[in-house]
Amino acid sequence: MARRLIIAAAMLVAAGTAPVLAQIGNPAGMDPATAASAPAPSAPQDANTQDELFVLLLGMGSRAEVEAGRMAEAQANRPAVRDFARRMVEDHSKGNEQLTALADRNRLALPKDVAPEHKAMRRQLESLSGAAFDLAYLQGQLVEHQKTAQLLEWEIGMGQNPQLVRFASATLPVVLEHLETLQRLWSDTTGAAPAGLAATGSTHAHKVPGS
Amino acid sequence: MLALPRIAPVLALTALVAEMAVVLADPLPADATYRPLPTRPFSAVKADDEAQKPQVMQRQTALLSQRYDLSNRATPGVMMSGGRKPVQGAVRVKLPSGITWETLAAMPPEEIRRRNLLPEGFKPLPHVKHATGGQVFPSEQIKAIDRLEQRDLRRFDVDFDLPDHMTPEFPPPIFLTTHPELGDVSRGQLLSLRNFYELLNGIVTPVQMEGMRLLLTPFPQEEFNQTEDRKVAAPSTGVACMDCHSNFHTNAAFHLTPDIRPQAARFRLDSTSLRGVFAQQIHGSKRSLRSVEDFTEFEQRTAYFNGDHVSATRKGVHLPDRPNQVAMMAQMQNMVDFPPAPKLDPFGRLDPTRATRQELDGERLFMGKARCMECHAPQTHFMDNNMHDLKLERFYRVGETVNDFTPMPDGPIKTFTLRGIKDSPPYLHDGRLPTLADTVEFFNLVLGLKLEQGEKDALVAYMLAL
Repeated sequence: MARRLIIAAAMLVAAGTAPVLAQIGNPAGMDPATAASAPAPSAPQDANTQDELFVLLLGMGSRAEVEAGRMAEAQANRPAVRDFARRMVEDHSKGNEQLTALADRNRLALPKDVAPEHKAMRRQLESLSGAAFDLAYLQGQLVEHQKTAQLLEWEIGMGQNPQLVRFASATLPVVLEHLETLQRLWSDTTGAAPAGLAATGSTHAHKVPGS
Repeated sequence: MLALPRIAPVLALTALVAEMAVVLADPLPADATYRPLPTRPFSAVKADDEAQKPQVMQRQTALLSQRYDLSNRATPGVMMSGGRKPVQGAVRVKLPSGITWETLAAMPPEEIRRRNLLPEGFKPLPHVKHATGGQVFPSEQIKAIDRLEQRDLRRFDVDFDLPDHMTPEFPPPIFLTTHPELGDVSRGQLLSLRNFYELLNGIVTPVQMEGMRLLLTPFPQEEFNQTEDRKVAAPSTGVACMDCHSNFHTNAAFHLTPDIRPQAARFRLDSTSLRGVFAQQIHGSKRSLRSVEDFTEFEQRTAYFNGDHVSATRKGVHLPDRPNQVAMMAQMQNMVDFPPAPKLDPFGRLDPTRATRQELDGERLFMGKARCMECHAPQTHFMDNNMHDLKLERFYRVGETVNDFTPMPDGPIKTFTLRGIKDSPPYLHDGRLPTLADTVEFFNLVLGLKLEQGEKDALVAYMLAL
């Protein structure tokens, strides 16, 4: 399975990105039907069940984050939370577009709806206003970003499709920046000491305006 | 900070938790924690692994040469304790262009992070094939065990990645607390199932001898076993404790930490020496197991450092009897001493009549400006039996993927002993630092010590005397 490495290297050259070295997975976890010959880089790539599940789970989470962000842009109490929500709508819309393009190119199914937990969150947010809304939104986003970071790390280790693994690698630092920003916002909102990445400041996260 | 009324949000949060409890969230995918079963036949996996191997090694070599100068530059006149291998010198971690160690040390962590100036060699070191992981043995160990026991420790998917001159001497000498008069009792040989009785009869007790036998007996391991999930060509009887801890020391065999999931975030583990394990009160870089008995028993349970009793059980689990077998294995390990340090007094301080001026300068710095002794306390064998978080992530952007490895902040890590430290390259829990001079530059930066070059040299000279 030299193919995946070669293709990933070709993609790197084409993209002219920083010297991130090509990914090499564990062949024990590949799709059993993986073809023996190397297709062109633009053609659909083999995908294992992890790749398929990754597209579904990330797609649902990302849609939910845009949805919740739109609500918070309109309803959040504090300007800092509204600013964060606006950034979530922008970043996750962009992420969704990229994921959709990758899924289409690799003929993988995208989710038709968000997950039940996201619907519960939507109902919850609809019933709240003011400071209570901010807290519920931030709590939901904290959990969602923790899970998304774990999901991306999982795909980086377990995925087979080089385009999806590269996408996961490129997305992870951004999601961790969101997480750090959220941890700061949570601290500013509740008065608790900053936790996680916000405790040391380990991403390129923007300073939270108005906090 | 906004002055918000605190009571209302707390009530809202309680309501939120109640609501979420009604709709249970789906967990992350099962194999984010559990090792998946292979999806393909062994022969197909092996063929792909073998085809990938040259590129895997090329990728790791490229990473290592980007990070380090791994040339053979021994420190003149300084040998490891068995006198078989010279100690490598000089700082080997490469600096970003246009930067010196002095200019780097003068910058605050935020600036180093923002400008991406932390030397790559200071960052966590990836496994040679991270998505697969598992134990990787140096070629000397593979050859010796093949010769002695006709047991195959060679993986078909990866080779060991560090040059021979950057690893501990092989086979390492063995010093026993029960026989200080004998010096090295290894007779220049590698302990194996074939020779341990001949080497140790008359100098250990029956209990210790049985412990020794068990420590040398192979048991199934994640990559070395009978199943299609192995990474060794023929079905394997497994791996022994002493395959990494050669002669109770280390041969620099590496693995991934058992303590973290998912796989991509597991950091590399450099095998630690078992010398002086009698003085250690916590075991495992992150687990803080409270006795060597606990550690010995538990590693058998989880197929040596994979943190996965489920997969280990499928491959053939070994459950040593706690009051008998475990106690004997532990007792044998507890008889292994540090190598001699003739310049140290009984409390681990330099004897001024034997030490050089530079070594004494180094000791003074170690206890003062360089702050080493705050964790590496001489009286307790240069440990504190504790764990500390250096918060290295202050210096670099977290979340970037390198060779399939997504290093997250390390968090608290066990303090390792510095006794006999010149025998144990590479350094830090993952072996990211090739020489002692690298460790001085690392801590100079991480602790903000502002050491001068003469002070750095003195610290290295002092550590060579330990």
